[in-house]
Amino acid sequence: MVTPRRDRKWQFVVDMDRCSGCQACVVACQAENNIPINSEAQFNQHRAVEWIRIERYWEGEFPNVKARFLPVLCQQCGNAPCEPVCPVYATYHNNEGLNVQVYNRCVGTRYCQNNCPYHIRFFNFWEPVWPESLRNQLNPDVTVRSRGIMEKCTFCVQRIRRAELDAARTGKPVGERGSEQEVGLQPACVQACPTGTLVFGDLNDPEHFPTLAKLVKHERRFRLLESLGTEPNVVYLKKVDLEAKEEVHGA
Amino acid sequence: MRTTRRQFLKWSGMAAVGTVAFIGCDIRGEELLVESPSTMPEDLVSGLEAWYATLCAQCGAGEGVIVRVIGGRAIKIEGNPYHPVSGGKSFARCQAGLQALYNPDRLRGPLRRVGDRRSELTGISWEEALADLTKRLADASPGSVVLVTGPQRGTLGKVVQGFGSTYGAQHLVHEPMEQTVLRAAIKQVFGLDQLPVFDLARADYVLNFGADFLSTWLSPVFYNRAYGEFRQGDRPRGTLVQVEPRFSLTAANADRWLYIDPGKEGVLALSLAYVLLADHQGQINRRAAEDMTGGQGASYLEAFAPEKVAQELGVGWDAGKVRALAEEFAGHRRSLAIGGGPAGSHTNGLFNLKAIYSLNYLVGNVGREGGILFNPAPPLKDVPASAPGATLADWQRLVDRMRAGQVRLLLVHGSNPAYGLPAQLGFAAALEQVPQVVSCSSFMDETAALADLVLPDHVYLEAWGDDIPEPGPGYQTVTLQQPVVHPFKPGRDDPGTRAFGDVLLDVAKRLGGKAAEALPWKDMREAVRDTARQLHALGRGSVSAGDFEVFWNTLLQWGGWWDEKAVGPSVPGVPPRFDRDAVRPEFEGRPEEFPFYLVPFASHSLADGSGANLPWLQATPDPLTTAVWHTWAEVHPEDARRLGLKEGDELVVETPAGSVRRVLARPHPAAAPGVIAIPTGQGHTVYGDFPVGLGLKRYFSVVGRDRGANVFSILAPKRERETGALAWGATRVRIAKTGEWIRLSKFEGVVTPMFPKEVIPLARLSGEKRGS
Repeated sequence: MVTPRRDRKWQFVVDMDRCSGCQACVVACQAENNIPINSEAQFNQHRAVEWIRIERYWEGEFPNVKARFLPVLCQQCGNAPCEPVCPVYATYHNNEGLNVQVYNRCVGTRYCQNNCPYHIRFFNFWEPVWPESLRNQLNPDVTVRSRGIMEKCTFCVQRIRRAELDAARTGKPVGERGSEQEVGLQPACVQACPTGTLVFGDLNDPEHFPTLAKLVKHERRFRLLESLGTEPNVVYLKKVDLEAKEEVHGA
Repeated sequence: MRTTRRQFLKWSGMAAVGTVAFIGCDIRGEELLVESPSTMPEDLVSGLEAWYATLCAQCGAGEGVIVRVIGGRAIKIEGNPYHPVSGGKSFARCQAGLQALYNPDRLRGPLRRVGDRRSELTGISWEEALADLTKRLADASPGSVVLVTGPQRGTLGKVVQGFGSTYGAQHLVHEPMEQTVLRAAIKQVFGLDQLPVFDLARADYVLNFGADFLSTWLSPVFYNRAYGEFRQGDRPRGTLVQVEPRFSLTAANADRWLYIDPGKEGVLALSLAYVLLADHQGQINRRAAEDMTGGQGASYLEAFAPEKVAQELGVGWDAGKVRALAEEFAGHRRSLAIGGGPAGSHTNGLFNLKAIYSLNYLVGNVGREGGILFNPAPPLKDVPASAPGATLADWQRLVDRMRAGQVRLLLVHGSNPAYGLPAQLGFAAALEQVPQVVSCSSFMDETAALADLVLPDHVYLEAWGDDIPEPGPGYQTVTLQQPVVHPFKPGRDDPGTRAFGDVLLDVAKRLGGKAAEALPWKDMREAVRDTARQLHALGRGSVSAGDFEVFWNTLLQWGGWWDEKAVGPSVPGVPPRFDRDAVRPEFEGRPEEFPFYLVPFASHSLADGSGANLPWLQATPDPLTTAVWHTWAEVHPEDARRLGLKEGDELVVETPAGSVRRVLARPHPAAAPGVIAIPTGQGHTVYGDFPVGLGLKRYFSVVGRDRGANVFSILAPKRERETGALAWGATRVRIAKTGEWIRLSKFEGVVTPMFPKEVIPLARLSGEKRGS
């Protein structure tokens, strides 16, 4: 069955002024997307997999020290540097603004990882294994990637598809919260995020994703490494600092 | 006939055996070129899912969660969107509940030791185990039996208390980072025996003395939600100022963090009160000021004038800074003072917290929105809504009784006192003097390893129960707990686990007499239904139905019951007078021998250590150091340089009460000079014992056991002066290198940061968003 598709443009907003750095999104993502457990060696070898991560920055010195938190996930670039370098079309752009990784095409050249300025692509250097009983928890909607495969954040495409199927089945539209009138859609990190830092939605459907539509044009808006021309689909809102001397603009 | 390609396509189209490409006429051409003929991952959608609402028992805040179940397996935990505490949101620890459920180390059935404590625990059937426990209880004299449980509320709390009181056993509640001092302070300042709600979301200015509410304090999901609104809700952006000896996660998110010497929080609070009374009379609540000073005004607190006390507060303080802080606090319309964590962890903890909470009266925000709101009395009289922890004094008495051979049977559930009590108390050693120790833990932990009989409990996702969240959200709330999956059995012939409540009910029945009369229910489900019947009889709240079965099913569907109209009292009465006699903190260990203050703190992911057997939580980076899988000591960079410490140097951390190794040095830009902060959670000797990892065996990490150090074990058993609670911040330490270097695993460095020069874009506050 193929359902008629709306003309979608999936977008993320990250409000850094709300983020408390609590790591709920990180664990929620690992639970949803069957990400292998990161052992000490993986951190030590710089191979730990976190599709969404919290970067922590220090500013100043004791006693006037500040910490800043920056959640980083795949920016689903409109002009993605990872796409043209894939020799086998494993990474391609769909017409909903998503930068999609086809696992069964991937041959593991890692060119895409090399070309991604955001460092959000992760390579499976080993076959992922879980202790037998922990395999019960694996999400059947998400492929377990095998050795030699590149993986990254998908904006929880399995949830998008499920919501759209539910929408087609029930005749309700897809919306940000889910209610009697709409089918709810939130990626795992957004659903967990207790401070409301992460907001997700369809830019083309402000009626059902009003929070996104409002925030995406916010005056604190910036995008990561915007100067590279990658056209990211993740919009960040700057953290407010009472003592900020002047506005520092993105690199 | 030779088939051409063109003909083949035509036939397959007609016979509708084509792939997606042929049916999906509305897919655009350009996409077709790339997508066909393989099925894209985005097109894969599988089986049917079911969602069940239940309780999250990971952090004790009593949040409602919903669990996604596919094919009888619990797949994902989310916050219950209707629940007043979680509001659809969750925390790392909530998520990791699945790894407790499917943990490889779950006990597979009851165990019994045949001989003495050195002999092996061997598997027995449930019938044997229950008969054995019944016999032991029947033979013992009730006065020599002690029940030790976690902070158990709701129906299970009722069952445990009912069992304890009718059988005649003593019942102690073990809360590792106990809230005893906080409860006492709230009671003395506001006259109410409860934990209140701090209305962060609607406050303009929050002065927070050490309460790490964004990480582990009280109800972190609830307060993280409120924090988001506090920052960027509909109201002007709030200002958060944190006063704390350690740079906690809440301090990291504050607009300003002000270091203070440990234990001096109360002196600062009274100094602020003095300035408010002396210089800001127009902005404070005059009546409260009169009540609190006996009509004497500022002169009542003369001894706390900033000029007299500022120099004792620690580096960076002077009278001007205290005055400026008081001016800010008085100058906002809705100012709120919160205290907790390290502020209450000293010998003068109660003095500190009372002084802090009293400030709220002065700015008139008690019982007002944006201030401190009070929770109502619990909805049901005989279902406990609070389970205050035993104090250090209680534990000392218990250990003395154990040593004297007066305790013949100790039953432990939901707590791990052999790990969580200061080692110098000698609890683990005193267990040797208790002839019978029974543990009802789901996992082999330090206490269960010393038990003679182990009756493994279900994990919370498999059991019936309920909870009354404490602190509540400001109105009456009951969270319902239902099994979302069948109890997990790794092997088909395993006897499996049994809910602790069911074990108690069964044993009570076998014992007969008063215990059986007091606990008449067949099992926990019946007991919970009985509680639900009482809720039904109230005839109000979020669930209403004439028929009880309909009520019950709706209750299960929504994950609980709440009544937004049943709010707490607004006017708590006359404020008490300020304590004008300053109480200074006392520390164990002389500064010459032990030059550093020790600030233990609850690990963000492992909490009190109960999360240490869950791989996701071990691998969750600490928000500030990004360290994983280890115990580290946060050391001021200058102290580290002086001692020649670099990151990863193994330390011996020594206090007057003992020493631990396997603590890795972590020079930390926000650590204060003279302060060593160490997280709790690691240093287990038996909790968790399975490898996880990828590739070669040497790349694997063992989850749980033998990693890092247990900071509880080196705490001196100092008591808070008035409450007798453990003063867990009252120990001094010295550190030395062992000469070993171990790489401190951390997320930092795994990827190149987005802003390598550490310049992150910031915004100034534009005029209209600024608060008053």
